[in-house]
Amino acid sequence: MMNLMPTATEPLHFALWERGLFAVLAVASAYGFWRRFGPILKKILQSKKDPDFHVFPIGKRVWDFVWEVLLQAKVIRERPLVGVAHALVFWAFCAFALVTLNHCATLLGVGFLDPAGSVGQLYFDVAAIFAVGCAAGILGLFVRRFLLRPKWLGELSWGSGLVALLIFALMATYLAAFFVKGPDAAVQALWWAHTLTLLAFLPLIPHTKHLHLVLSPFTVFFSRGSFAHIPPLSGDEDFGLVAGKDLTRLVSLQAYSCVECGRCMEHCPANATGKELNPKEIVLGLRGYLNEFGPRSEEPMLGKYNTQEAAFECTTCGACEFQCPVGIEHVPILVGLRRGAVNTGAWENSYGSKLFLALERGSNALGMSATERDKFVEKNALPIFDGTQEFCLWLGCMGAYDPRGREIVLALVRVMRHLGASFGVLRKEKCTGDPVRRLGNDLLFQQLAEANLEALAQNRVKKIITICPHCVRTIQEDWKEFGTPPEVEHHSEFLARHLGELSFVSGHVTSGSEETPAASGLVSGRDLSRAESDDKNEGALAPEQSRNEKIVFHDPCYLGRYRNVYDEPRQVAALAGELVEAPRSHERSFCCGAGGGLAFLGEEKGERVSHVRAEELVATGAGVVAAACPFCNTMLRDALAAHGEGAPELVDIAQLVARGLPEEE
Amino acid sequence: MKIVVAIKQVPDRDAPVRIAANAKWIEERDLQWAMNEPDAYALEEALQLKEKHGGEVIVLSAGPERVGSTIREALAKGADRAIQIMCGDLGARDALGVARLLAEAIKPENPDLVLTGLQSEDLGLGQTGVILAELLGLPHATLILHVEKTDAGLKVRRELEEGWFQSVEMPLPAVLTMQSGGNKLRYATLMGIKRAKTKELRAVNAAELGTAAAPVATLAQISAPKKQKSTQILSGSAKEAAAALVEKLKMEARVL
Repeated sequence: MMNLMPTATEPLHFALWERGLFAVLAVASAYGFWRRFGPILKKILQSKKDPDFHVFPIGKRVWDFVWEVLLQAKVIRERPLVGVAHALVFWAFCAFALVTLNHCATLLGVGFLDPAGSVGQLYFDVAAIFAVGCAAGILGLFVRRFLLRPKWLGELSWGSGLVALLIFALMATYLAAFFVKGPDAAVQALWWAHTLTLLAFLPLIPHTKHLHLVLSPFTVFFSRGSFAHIPPLSGDEDFGLVAGKDLTRLVSLQAYSCVECGRCMEHCPANATGKELNPKEIVLGLRGYLNEFGPRSEEPMLGKYNTQEAAFECTTCGACEFQCPVGIEHVPILVGLRRGAVNTGAWENSYGSKLFLALERGSNALGMSATERDKFVEKNALPIFDGTQEFCLWLGCMGAYDPRGREIVLALVRVMRHLGASFGVLRKEKCTGDPVRRLGNDLLFQQLAEANLEALAQNRVKKIITICPHCVRTIQEDWKEFGTPPEVEHHSEFLARHLGELSFVSGHVTSGSEETPAASGLVSGRDLSRAESDDKNEGALAPEQSRNEKIVFHDPCYLGRYRNVYDEPRQVAALAGELVEAPRSHERSFCCGAGGGLAFLGEEKGERVSHVRAEELVATGAGVVAAACPFCNTMLRDALAAHGEGAPELVDIAQLVARGLPEEE
Repeated sequence: MKIVVAIKQVPDRDAPVRIAANAKWIEERDLQWAMNEPDAYALEEALQLKEKHGGEVIVLSAGPERVGSTIREALAKGADRAIQIMCGDLGARDALGVARLLAEAIKPENPDLVLTGLQSEDLGLGQTGVILAELLGLPHATLILHVEKTDAGLKVRRELEEGWFQSVEMPLPAVLTMQSGGNKLRYATLMGIKRAKTKELRAVNAAELGTAAAPVATLAQISAPKKQKSTQILSGSAKEAAAALVEKLKMEARVL
């Protein structure tokens, strides 16, 4: 077999002038690389240290590195075709490391891989396979970038074209060596063609977005590692990302790592609805700032390359960060810019001020009197938590003050009672601080977190259950900065754990629809005339209704991407009907527009995020939209109302379950 | 312009208010405290005047130790320095007594303008600012929504009944009592709080101000409002009942 395999030919002798020329060109190439890369590295290292950075535990870092960098899994999973093309190029580069070293060593007569030897031949042949893959991959990427031109890639750049050409040339010259068997001059010429391509490629790397070749493996390895983690401020002069002096090493590293693929932009709800925010431009803006002002500058960042308006259009849905293949953490950057503006008082927004003032003096983000919560608790005879119950039922601002949120809470209460789960609510509860945390008001967030932590400790709360994924996230992750929060779970997780005991949801429905002729007639009639039935809201999913009701579940960002809970709410919703999926679901779900405190900031520019999402949900043909977050609920409710006739019904998964409960409960 | 803003710390809006055993005042234990809202607007107006015309904003507050948190809030929002009149018996003093304390503390400052809220959210007497003006011998205007500095002094906008406004020109120095809602309040910031730590907060003992005098008005008793429902069933035929209802709506409820 061995002799049947093709063999690459390498030149055997080099003249002295050739060696001299190579040395000069190699030095020039390395200089061209360093002249640009050196200052970039310096800027990254000159940035201030990240206050909460620890290399250990290292296991997750290694795993992320293997998964995201070596296996290219993230690149491939989110854009399969393009991802594979990229992976082919990447893997070929890895395979080529040894080939290239040997290629240069040959010149000095110290080649360590003999293309004719058995090991060398095998390696060269394997590399050749990679080379073919790489050539095909880069060709595909070239066609995409210059002919198909998806808008995420932005303006055409000469650099990308040149790099693609050079990579293709590298592969072509490598592969050609398998076919050119002499004369010596031809072999020599091929060697030089390959070498010159290589030497031209090196200095291009730091001058183009191909800098990610060098930086992104480090970016992925050193990333904060937990999704959308907002780092603590350090010292008395840290107010967030105000000026260059506030940029940390991780942020600077990330700014220079951006490969401008535009996945963040493609998935950004703000960008998709005509707002100024473009997460890619935010990162490139930081890079531009670093290039002009450097990491020690006192020059304010907002108003230079990035605007305040863009920073405050982010819903913190995290789609950008989730998609980013080079480990950029957009959410901490955007929240960091907001912190800089809010903590110094530079952000002036009447809605924002109203929210902050409401929480400075009052207890909730809705600006209502706390007595309204007391009345709600009293009227519905919700037990007060006294330390004997298993769960502290955290109402949250929406659950305690918003009429729809209250309905969700009451539905959950009925189900918990039916399941025999013991629970109680706190006498007093303050907003967890979610909206002010994401808007960058650290003073207020700290006050709220500390007050709540103290109240929970006093009441000896061990376990919290809540209907609001924003509360879950803030309690579990963000409060850690100021103490040890109790265990917390979202009601979808609780309900899914009791799935076996929720058979009444489907059981009741099935018997009603299949065995009662009148009911089944009604059901089939409804199923056929789904679109024009307008009275379904009253009776949808009432016991007599169909199991075949189509339900589409809308993933809340703070439950899905933030908490990695996708299946539990689906399992619960599936009890009440047939699940269908929206085109964007699970980790690619599209935001409702409420996150990041934006629910409180009034009218948005461009199209409303909630309307875009609602139309997408309507288009699934589902009769019911199942939500699992009171903020999604309120946003989608308005959007579905705007859709008008034929809009599906909107309910929380807790309500879906509670409807199946026997009457007497 | 040198501006003194007199602020009062009052029970927080959401705080559960209980009447003390002697029924003379409320139980202060477990209460949360906040800046009196009209005073917050007075502070905002002062800060805006300073931002426009330069000068200094001094906050002044009387009360026990706990008042310090409200003073720091005012410093955090942008006041330059503060004076706290330490007195543990604010509740026992009438408006004249409190105004005397404030006046004594203000006199050495010799300010161009004194601002305070038109009334407090707890007692709501609406007297302190006006008496303060009298004690300082300064002209005053009440219910002010907006202040504009002119060459001659001030032009102020007063809120009257039923959506009417009155513009008044007056000389400086002066005392103004501010109405809520004339401005947008600013939010407290982390930077403000950190900077506030380095600002001067001078404590003065009430006794040092030498204003001990018997109150001219004493608070006899406070009580919680009684909740009562008085449902009346109108008897007679439907026609008679309807006629009686219309009569009541006209004469008692005065909605018709």
